Amino acid sequence: METLFWISALVVAYVYAGYPALLAIWARLAGRPVRRRPSFERRNWPVVSVIIAAHNEGARLPGRIANLLNQSYPGTLEIVVISDGSTDGTAAAVGQFEDAVRYIELPRGGKPLALNAGVAAATGSILVFADARQRFSPDAILYLVSNFDDPDVGGVTGELILDCEHDDPADSTMGDGVGLYWTYEKWLRRHESLIRSTLGATGAIYAMRRELWHPLPARTLLDDVLAPMRAVLRGSRIVFDERARAFDRTSPDGSAEARRKIRTLAGNYQILALEPRLLIPFANPVWWQYLSHKVGRLLVPWTLVCAFIASAAVASEGWFYTAVFGLQLVFYGLAAVGGWIESRERQSPSASGRHDEIPVVLGKEAR
Amino acid sequence: MSRQVTRCARVAYTFVMMNVAAVVGLFSIHRGREVWR
Repeated sequence: METLFWISALVVAYVYAGYPALLAIWARLAGRPVRRRPSFERRNWPVVSVIIAAHNEGARLPGRIANLLNQSYPGTLEIVVISDGSTDGTAAAVGQFEDAVRYIELPRGGKPLALNAGVAAATGSILVFADARQRFSPDAILYLVSNFDDPDVGGVTGELILDCEHDDPADSTMGDGVGLYWTYEKWLRRHESLIRSTLGATGAIYAMRRELWHPLPARTLLDDVLAPMRAVLRGSRIVFDERARAFDRTSPDGSAEARRKIRTLAGNYQILALEPRLLIPFANPVWWQYLSHKVGRLLVPWTLVCAFIASAAVASEGWFYTAVFGLQLVFYGLAAVGGWIESRERQSPSASGRHDEIPVVLGKEAR
Repeated sequence: MSRQVTRCARVAYTFVMMNVAAVVGLFSIHRGREVWR
């Protein structure tokens, strides 16, 4: 039981503390900055296609399209909206933009098939993927594209800024935990990008070279991980550019956040089935990072359970194990209190007044 | 309850919820497509 405890505790400690420490040292010793030219030196900006797959987003799309039309990108920007079986008047909402937007209507088939159709219809050599809900900063696409000066770069992920990173959002009960987690996650991505490549992208804002895109299987859960990781497996870098910013709100409550996380983590299991080469050291150039970050997160829940049971079993064998077991009890007790607070706030009338407008004005300078 | 304790409780809850999600996610891959992002 002691061995089981120590193995479990070491896995948890490595995934959440050891790996970030390793990344920090690795990035310092062997960081590879992206070779970008200053914008004013560029003559031929590539044609960029922004692809938005949407299902019943008629209310959000006009604001979203206006946000994209206000981009400061100097080259040609094409906007492709794919409606995946929408029944809410999405066509009319997009129709008001006339020729500024290419609109494709599909029967309901899921996001991956909608993205495949969007890419097939797009004419740009750079594809930018976005969702209907978030908003971009005015120069987001300019910054994303500037990374493609470096021929090693196959994709770029921007920074998704959640409102809870700046303040305590009144319309979410998840701000504290999600804000801390997201800040930590972005720190990892920044360092993984410096070393070689991030392990996927942020679905709300990422760009890829068109030639690296392969149609997604219909059942894909995480297009923003599968498509970039396929580019990584072909030798390209996916880099993180925090100058390209998208803005979003935190999930309104614990159950919405839990649904989102279940989908993300189910997707991480699925990707291992769709791309088993990710687990082969010589096939995956970021194998160690992938194992430490993505596979580690899938292992941690099981090791937490093992650590809890093992420390309970040996708690009587010395003060150290008693203390460790006690600390776990305190931690899970705190989590239960956190769950109770979240559920109480979710039921309060103030939590139901969630507004839809996303504040694009939030920037680093406002922090 | 002090604000600091409340904050710690929320963070602990989020951590546990994310780990529970990893376990549930394994058993619910087939349901994933129903959740549109």
